[in-house]
Amino acid sequence: MFFRMIKGVLLRQKGKMAMIAFTIALGASLATAMLAVMFDVGDKVNQELKTYGANITVVAKEASVVDSLYEVDGASSIPTSYLKEADVANVKKIFWAFNIVDFAPLLQTSASINGTDAVLVGTWFGHHLSLDTGEELDAGIVSMRSWWSVEDGAWLDETKEGDVDRVMVGAALAQTLGVKAGDTVKLSCGKKSGEYEVAGVFSAGGDEDNQVFAPLSLVQGLSGEKGLITSIEVSALTTPDNELSRQAAKDPSKLTVAQYETWYCTAYVSSICYQLQEAIPDAVAKAVRQVAESEGAILDKTQLLMILITILALIGSALGISNLITASVMERSQEIGLLKAIGAHDRAISGLLLAELIIVAILGGAVGFGVGYGFAQVIGYTVFSSSINLSPMVIPLVVTLVILVTLAGSIPAIRTVLRLDPAEVLHGR
Amino acid sequence: MKKSSMYLRMITASLARRKSRMLVALLAVTVGSTILAGLVMVYYDMPRQMGEQFLAYGANMIFVPSSDSDGMTSEEIEQAASEIDGSVEGVISYCYESATINDAPIVIAGCDLNATLETSPYWQIDGALPQAEGEILVGLNQADFFSLQVGDTVPVSYIPADVKAAVEGENLNGDVEGKVLKEFTVSGILDTGSTEEDYFFISEEDMAGLTGETLTYDVTELRVNADADALAASVERIEQAVPGVTPQLVKRITESQTTVLSKLSALVLLVTIITLALTMICVATTMTAVVTERRREIGLRKALGASDKSIMLEFMGEGLMLGLIGGLLGSVLGFGFAYLVSTNVFNSTITFLPALVPVTVLAALAVTALACVMPVRNATKVDPALVLKGE
Repeated sequence: MFFRMIKGVLLRQKGKMAMIAFTIALGASLATAMLAVMFDVGDKVNQELKTYGANITVVAKEASVVDSLYEVDGASSIPTSYLKEADVANVKKIFWAFNIVDFAPLLQTSASINGTDAVLVGTWFGHHLSLDTGEELDAGIVSMRSWWSVEDGAWLDETKEGDVDRVMVGAALAQTLGVKAGDTVKLSCGKKSGEYEVAGVFSAGGDEDNQVFAPLSLVQGLSGEKGLITSIEVSALTTPDNELSRQAAKDPSKLTVAQYETWYCTAYVSSICYQLQEAIPDAVAKAVRQVAESEGAILDKTQLLMILITILALIGSALGISNLITASVMERSQEIGLLKAIGAHDRAISGLLLAELIIVAILGGAVGFGVGYGFAQVIGYTVFSSSINLSPMVIPLVVTLVILVTLAGSIPAIRTVLRLDPAEVLHGR
Repeated sequence: MKKSSMYLRMITASLARRKSRMLVALLAVTVGSTILAGLVMVYYDMPRQMGEQFLAYGANMIFVPSSDSDGMTSEEIEQAASEIDGSVEGVISYCYESATINDAPIVIAGCDLNATLETSPYWQIDGALPQAEGEILVGLNQADFFSLQVGDTVPVSYIPADVKAAVEGENLNGDVEGKVLKEFTVSGILDTGSTEEDYFFISEEDMAGLTGETLTYDVTELRVNADADALAASVERIEQAVPGVTPQLVKRITESQTTVLSKLSALVLLVTIITLALTMICVATTMTAVVTERRREIGLRKALGASDKSIMLEFMGEGLMLGLIGGLLGSVLGFGFAYLVSTNVFNSTITFLPALVPVTVLAALAVTALACVMPVRNATKVDPALVLKGE
C-alpha cells in the first residue's frame, strides 16, 4: 500500500515532482562543479605558476661563491666547480619525481661572439632522455623561459635536424652585433672557435638579453668542458611552506622521526631540495626564494578564494533546494489534511512524504552530479586547458549535502502542516 | 489615485497574510541576489587584489643609468618614478661598489634597507636588517666563504676611484695611501636562493661614509601595481622625460603575471556565470511553486469576474515587490560576502560598487516577474470551475 501510494504520487504529480527533481539536480550540479574545481584548483594554479620559471637551482658544493660576483670585479681567474651532465637525469629519480615539471642543465662560460665578449650558456632545448627506469621524456629550458619572446626566427629544438649546431642570441646583443636569424656568427672560446647559424633572437627583459644560448653539447665542445655543467634549473610543483618545512630547511637532523617522515613525504620546496642533494653527488640545491615564496602566497590566496566562493554557492544551492521543498510540502496541505481526516497517523504521513522526497532527491541528485561533473570539465578546459580530476571527497560530500538539505527543507514544513487542523485546511483556511 | 492605493493594499495585505510562503519566496530571491552581487563584486575587484599578491614576486620595473651616465641621482629617480601610471608600492635604489675584506674582493650594495621589506618580501634574513650605523647584512654565500655569523665584525676596506686610477697597475693589496678601512658588525645573513647571496648590504649613510661622496645609484627596483599596458606606456614616458634613466620591465614578472592573472580571472568569471545561472533557475522554480499553489485563488477571482489582466497585474505586483526587497537585501548581503572575501583572503578592504545595486535589483525583478508570468498564465487559461473543483 505504502509503495502504491508513493508510486501514485510520483506518477500523478509528475509535473511537480519533476520540478523538485530539477531544482535538486541544479543544486547538486552546482555543488559538484564547485567542489570538484575547488579541490583541484591548487594543482591547476600551481601548473600555471610554473611560468615564473625554475623554483630550485642546483649548483656544485664548492661553487658557493659564484663567479658572477667576480665578473663585477673584472677578474674571473677563480676556477669554477662543476656538476656532471650524467647526473642530471637523477632529478627524475627522487621521491617527488612526479612533481618535477621540467629541468635543464646549464653550462655558463665566457666567449666572444664576432669579436665581442659575451656570456655563452649551453643548455638543453627539448632534450630527449631515456631513463633506466624505462621512462622517456623531453626536458629543456623552453618551458622555464616562458616570458622570453622570440622576436626573430624560432626556438631551438634539439630533435630537429641541424639545430644542435645553431645558437640563440639575446636581443640587446643581437642589436649591438647587427645579427638576425639566419645569419652566421663566429663563436670563440679560448683557442677553439666555430661558425654557427643564428636560429633565433630572443627578448628576455633582463641580463639574458646580452647572452648567447646554445645546445649544451656545442658549448661543451667549444670550452672543452666535456660532460660538465655549472648548474641545473628545476621547476617543481610544491606545497606552500609551513612551520615544519621552515624548521626542516634549517636542519633536517633536528626533527623527530615522525616529523621527518611527514616532511620528507610532503612536496615542500625544502624537502625536494633535500632529495635533489641526495640524488646528485656533491650538489647544493637551493630554493629560489623569490619564486618559491610567492608561489606559496598566491596558491594559498587562490585556494582560500575558491573555498569562500564554493561555500557561498553551497549555501545558495542548499537554500534553493530546501526552499522549494518547503514550498512544495506546504502546497500539499489539503492532501495532508485529507489524509489526517481519514485517520492517518502523523508518522505515516511524514514517512510517506519523506520517502517521496528522498526518491526524488536521489534521482535529481544523480542527474545533477553528472551535469555538475560536466560543468567542472567545461571550467577545466576553458580556463586551464586540462581536465579537472574528481577528488574522491566530492561524491560523499554531495550525497550528504543533498540528503541533509532535503531533510532540512521538508521536516519543518511537514511539522507545520501536520499541526494544522484538518477541518480548517480542507476548508481552504 | 484611489484605484492605485487599493492595488497597493491588496498586494501588501496578500504578502502579509501569507507570511510563511512569502518568506520562502523572499528568501529565495534574497539568496539569488546575494550570490549575484557578491560574486560580481569579487570578480570585479579580483584583478586589483590578486595583482597586489603578485607583487610578492618582487620588482616588475627597474631603472638603470643611461649608457652615457655613470649613475642616477636621487632627483632623477624621483622624477622618473613620478611619471609612472599606476601605484608605486615600493622603490629601492642600489649603489654597488667593490671593496675588499682582508684583500679578498667583495661587492657592497648601499641601499635603504627598510625599503627591501616592500620590494623584496621574499628575503629571508637570519638575524635582522641593519638598523644602526656600522651594521652590515651579509649574503649567505659570502657568510659561508668568510665564515661569518651574526654579531661578528668584518673589516671592510675601500679604495676610492681616484686613488685606484693613480696607482693603476700596482698591487692594490696591502697598504695603499687613501684606502678607507672600516669595521662593520654583521646584523643578519640573507638567504634568497639567487645572486643577492653574493653581496654585502649596508645603509646609504654608511655607503656615503665609506666612499666619501654623494651617492649615485646603479639600479633602482620598483614594484608597480599596474597592468602590462600601463607599464609599457610608463616606460615610454620615462624614456622621453628623464634622459639619465633607462627604464626596463622585468619581463619574467610582468609577462607571467598577465598569464596567470588572466587565467584566474577567467576561472572566477566562469564560476560566477555557472553559479548565477543555476541559482537564478532555482529562484525561478521556487517562485513558480509559490504561485502555482494559488491556482484556487485565481480560479475564485475569475469566477467572481476579475479579468485576466487584473489578476496578472496583481501577481506581478506581488512578485515585483518581493524582487525589489530581495534585490536590495541581496545587494547588502552580497557586499558583506565580498567584504568577507577581501578581508580574509587579501587582507584589504573592498569598495562598494553603487552601480551594482540597480543591476542586482533589476535582475531580481526580471527573474521574479518571469517566474510569476508562466504559472499565472496557465492558471488563468484554465476554466475557473475546474480549478475550484481541484484539478
